[in-house]
Amino acid sequence: MLFNSVEFLLFFPIVTTLFFVLPNRWRWLFLLIASCIFYMAWIPIYVTILFLIIIVDYVAARKIEAASGGMRKLFLLVSVLANVSLLALFKYYDFFCENFTELLHLLHLTWKFPPLNLILPIGLSFHTFQALAYTIEVYNGKQRAETQLGIYALYVMFYPQLVAGPIERPQNLIHQFKEDHPFEAHNVVSGLRLMLWGFFKKMVIADRLGILVNHVYNQPHEYSGIPLLLATYCFAYQVYCDFSGYSDIAIGAARVMGFGLIRNFNSPFAATTIQDFWNRWHISLSSFFRDFVYVPIALTFRAVPGRNALAALITMALAGLWHGANWTYVIYGLLHGFYLVVYIYWRQLSLRLAKHVDRRLHQLFGLLFTFNAFCFSCIFFRGNSVTDAVWIVEHLFPLNNADKVGDLGLTGGEILMTIVAIMILEFVQYMERNKGGVAYLEKQKLTTRWICYYTLFFYILVLGEFGGARFIYFQF
Amino acid sequence: MTKADVVSKLQDVFDNVFVEDVKVTEELSANDVTEWDSLSHITLIVAVEKAFKVRFGMGEVEAANNVGGLADLILKKLQA
Repeated sequence: MLFNSVEFLLFFPIVTTLFFVLPNRWRWLFLLIASCIFYMAWIPIYVTILFLIIIVDYVAARKIEAASGGMRKLFLLVSVLANVSLLALFKYYDFFCENFTELLHLLHLTWKFPPLNLILPIGLSFHTFQALAYTIEVYNGKQRAETQLGIYALYVMFYPQLVAGPIERPQNLIHQFKEDHPFEAHNVVSGLRLMLWGFFKKMVIADRLGILVNHVYNQPHEYSGIPLLLATYCFAYQVYCDFSGYSDIAIGAARVMGFGLIRNFNSPFAATTIQDFWNRWHISLSSFFRDFVYVPIALTFRAVPGRNALAALITMALAGLWHGANWTYVIYGLLHGFYLVVYIYWRQLSLRLAKHVDRRLHQLFGLLFTFNAFCFSCIFFRGNSVTDAVWIVEHLFPLNNADKVGDLGLTGGEILMTIVAIMILEFVQYMERNKGGVAYLEKQKLTTRWICYYTLFFYILVLGEFGGARFIYFQF
Repeated sequence: MTKADVVSKLQDVFDNVFVEDVKVTEELSANDVTEWDSLSHITLIVAVEKAFKVRFGMGEVEAANNVGGLADLILKKLQA
């Protein structure tokens, strides 16, 4: 079920109302059933895959906790293999077959590995990672194995973050399902406000920019210069508003019921280094890769000079591949790995330089450099193929064809209103960073606050895209 | 070796790892040092392992993001 669909417009108030009406002891069961309905709105039978992996991880975690020595590692391995195999089968098998067959073809061998053409279960990459976080944290002794299967199932299936995160750690979420959540007006207002903000980002900015981006990126060979550059910058904002908008709606929907999910984005375009960027962008995924991939690799190679660079490259290549079975995503990840390697070696020099340069100038340079480095990687993230992406890179300059900007799928008025919407976004984020954001808003008069809410609401009604466009991260 | 000795020895390790001047106290955490991020954390951990001749496990590393916790972990390893 999409958040920006009519079904969700009915689902959300019904589920939230019934949640508060029911006695606390039945709420977990009710949320589990509601989450199943939410998931089954897509391909109902796929819910059995979720049930299967839930049972495997539930049993594995109980065994890890009860066992000692090498047996603990064995049960962790079972859980990791079960989750990774599921991902490999549905997401990467066809990609592997295609590339392996081509490799054999180059070696003049004619063996063929037929693809399975399976439809990817929605949100598979998210809930398998959330399940992995659980068994790893049980193994590390940071989370007790859950005794109630239903509570663990709800941890994996909690509908607000089931299909596109945030990827929660068990320490943050599981205990919340056992606590009482009385109706709190403050939570309801705060949650609904965050959802409104998420819908604004998604329907006004992301989906509108998506029209221009699709126009250019689906036929890049017809453009060069400014249209390609503009579409690339637009995609950076599109993917940010699409995914952070989704996260805001998810966090808001959970908050209305009194559940706290972790923050997934923190003004990533204000980052002044690439390391800073990854601390602000898709925080739940980047912290997963940091703790469960980067740190183990770096420690395994602790005696090797350049271990940090090696670990960063491998981690980011895997993070790229996590997004999808396509070489474009691998290159996107490797590019970020390369940025991090440059950052590792440049950082100490930069810190010494910073002592002699004006701080604001140093930060501004860092901000522009980081943003443009991200935008460059977006060419591969959005490019329909590596060939397309390379073509775009080769034809970004010289900056010509400015006259074609008006012919990229959006009217002059739409472009102007989208620019205003982006300015609102940047203003709100600036206030958040410098004035305390929500706390600052809550100090304002009632009329001021409601003018802000109505402005956003009518902006969505008048300028929002109501085509029900899928969220970009749903495909992952 | 007492906790105070460990903290004192950690000052040398921090001086070698970080460019900025850092006064090591038990309360010092990653939030107080600009350079102390996940990349330099591994460099710091490996330097600590060398200085104290100990070895940390995977799950222990991320928890040691403040000097007090790191010192406790080192003492635990030294006494093991």
